[in-house]
Amino acid sequence: MAAHPTIKETHTFIRTEHLSVRYGATEALVDCSLEIPAQRVTVIIGPSGCGKSTTLRCINKLVIPSSGAVLYEDSSLQQVQDTALRRKIGYAIQSVGLMPHMTVEENIALVPRLLGWTRDTQSARVTELLRLVRLDVQSYRKKYPSQLSGGEAQRVGVARALGADPPVLLMDEPFGAVDPLTREQLQDEFIRIQRQLKKTVVFVTHDIDEAIRLADYLVIMKDGAIVQSDTPEQILAQPANSFVEQFLGPDRALKRLSLFTADHFLEEPLTGEHDRAAQALTACDNRCYWQLDETGRPLAGYTYTAEKLIRREIIGEQHTVREWASLKECMATMLNLGFPAITVVDDLGRVMGEVRFETIQRISIA
Amino acid sequence: MAIGVQVKSSVSSASVLISWVCCAIALLLPFMSVRETRISAEMSVGLPALGFSAFILAIFPLLIVFWSVRKRRWIWHASIISGLIAPLLLLAVHGPQLVSVAGPFARYSPSGGFYLWILGVSSVLFVKPKRTRYDYVSIALAVIVVIFFSIQGNFSQLGIVQEAGNFGTRLTREVGNHLRITLISIGISTLIGLPVALLTYQVPSVRNFVFPLLNILQTIPAIALFGLLIAPLAALSRAFPQLRAIGIQGIGNTPAIIALSIYGIYPILRYSYTAFSEIDPQVIQAARGIGMNRRQLWILARIPLAAPTVLHGIRVALVQTIGNATLAKLIGGGGLGVLVFEGLGQASSDMVLLGMILIILLTVLADAVALMSIRMLTPRAFLITKEENEEQ
Repeated sequence: MAAHPTIKETHTFIRTEHLSVRYGATEALVDCSLEIPAQRVTVIIGPSGCGKSTTLRCINKLVIPSSGAVLYEDSSLQQVQDTALRRKIGYAIQSVGLMPHMTVEENIALVPRLLGWTRDTQSARVTELLRLVRLDVQSYRKKYPSQLSGGEAQRVGVARALGADPPVLLMDEPFGAVDPLTREQLQDEFIRIQRQLKKTVVFVTHDIDEAIRLADYLVIMKDGAIVQSDTPEQILAQPANSFVEQFLGPDRALKRLSLFTADHFLEEPLTGEHDRAAQALTACDNRCYWQLDETGRPLAGYTYTAEKLIRREIIGEQHTVREWASLKECMATMLNLGFPAITVVDDLGRVMGEVRFETIQRISIA
Repeated sequence: MAIGVQVKSSVSSASVLISWVCCAIALLLPFMSVRETRISAEMSVGLPALGFSAFILAIFPLLIVFWSVRKRRWIWHASIISGLIAPLLLLAVHGPQLVSVAGPFARYSPSGGFYLWILGVSSVLFVKPKRTRYDYVSIALAVIVVIFFSIQGNFSQLGIVQEAGNFGTRLTREVGNHLRITLISIGISTLIGLPVALLTYQVPSVRNFVFPLLNILQTIPAIALFGLLIAPLAALSRAFPQLRAIGIQGIGNTPAIIALSIYGIYPILRYSYTAFSEIDPQVIQAARGIGMNRRQLWILARIPLAAPTVLHGIRVALVQTIGNATLAKLIGGGGLGVLVFEGLGQASSDMVLLGMILIILLTVLADAVALMSIRMLTPRAFLITKEENEEQ
């Protein structure tokens, strides 16, 4: 099994080699070579018509490439026929594609049914999956797709894709048709489910924020060709060309910050009684000093601004962050406080360390 | 108060107006007619000739006026019941009286006034989208009155009853003929229309040929089509005596069935083609994507999704064919057309009327049976959506 080039501790699950797809005179896909890492989320992103969905459909053989090949490196997908292959690859699409004449239960049990599972196993699996996507088993089982909201339908779509517990999931803009708030909830759910199940996921989207949020491995496509493929951190730090740069948007430095969490960048804070603040800080130093109470919670912060010592009271959640907050959130909190650093606190509000602006600066330009 | 509002909202004011206009005109028209023999000239009998009993018709408008003052639901329904039963009573009581004066072969029939009155009253019943339990009670009461007087013998001198008596067993035979012609034609139409629709759906280029051809066939008048079929069918049956043995010849039921089948193809093909081509391609793509093979795509996805619309096409063809089958008589075939056209030939309006009533009854019954079968065969999901939409 080939090692994946950029993501450590995993192997390549599926490989596409020089894939080209032509529809008459138009080229949907041009010489597309891609390595999908096992148990990670690969997000393919690009403007509409860039060939991202076509790539997906080549993987489950809904589209037959004009030249090139899809190689299934993982043993679980080898030596099976087309329909059998598709049953081993979960597939969820934008308009959900639920069978309108079947209940939620029948839809989710569709692949197990095609695979000839017994009724009891099917039913048990449906219960399990409805719980997984957090839909009430009793009330949703017998509903029809027309009775579901957009978000609920998408959840059922994901549950159906997971029907027979496939090792791979292909998701073609699965959260494209819902409002932004629901989409964010669905993304959270997806992250939670993926942590639990560790599937090999290929996810197609045109929403850059969604891509950065979900991707372990990001593939940017344009006009049927791959422009850049790497980890999102790497792509945000070093866009391959002006197209990628433009696609990522002017705030890509901020977007990059959202990929890192505070706990990896903790530094030793200056702490103590309030009367020692002036002593600990010097006017030219770009540091903060924190006054703590007896349990270790921050009460106030001190820093020099324009050679004057400034004191600010620390108000709980407004001015502190938790250890799993992203550096982007740290940055926002710093701006709230107006200090060059903020304290990171544990669940009891005690200081664990501080995150400094200079660290953020260093990370954002990588 | 709430009840009054409910009744008002379910009956449109336009249909109430139409109802009143119909009933008002009905009062001025002859109510019934009497003939001394089957084909002698009819003598019209107006409402004034019926004397004071004609005033029972006034209960209907009086109750409506009462309802407009005190909006109780029972007053509204009582008015409709009286409106339906009063003319039946007049007919049943005065008909036999008039006939007894006119001689041994005399018969009576309802006339324009009677029909227009019934139309006026029932327009309030049938025009609104949903009928309530009380509406069915009104209809049931009217039917009970008809059955009661039939048993009493009051309707035995009614024109159409006399005609039906003259026909005897031939009547049931022609009803059977009519149904047989219709069902065989529909069967042939389906056997041709459905596969061609599937072919058209699978091979889009066929469409450019199939639909223009159908449009042309649809414009040929039925009688012309009968005429066109005589020569080739006659030639066929002369050439192959075996065909003649099973009833295939230039005149009779065969050309009628062929023509009706051709007309029936159109709705079945149109509806079926629409049914399959309007399946959401995303659903099919998803079905393929999760690993359905070709057979499963048809059985689990396409057929259940298209079935309701295909069946509606067959239903439309069925209703259309029952009507058209009347024309079979023109080429020497059987069916209820026999009553209509023989009645026309003998100038017996009662006979024509009997034929028409039976054809209408058959159509309504067949439509109801077809609707019920469609409901049973439609996936439950579509029924639920439909009910939800109706509620909105």
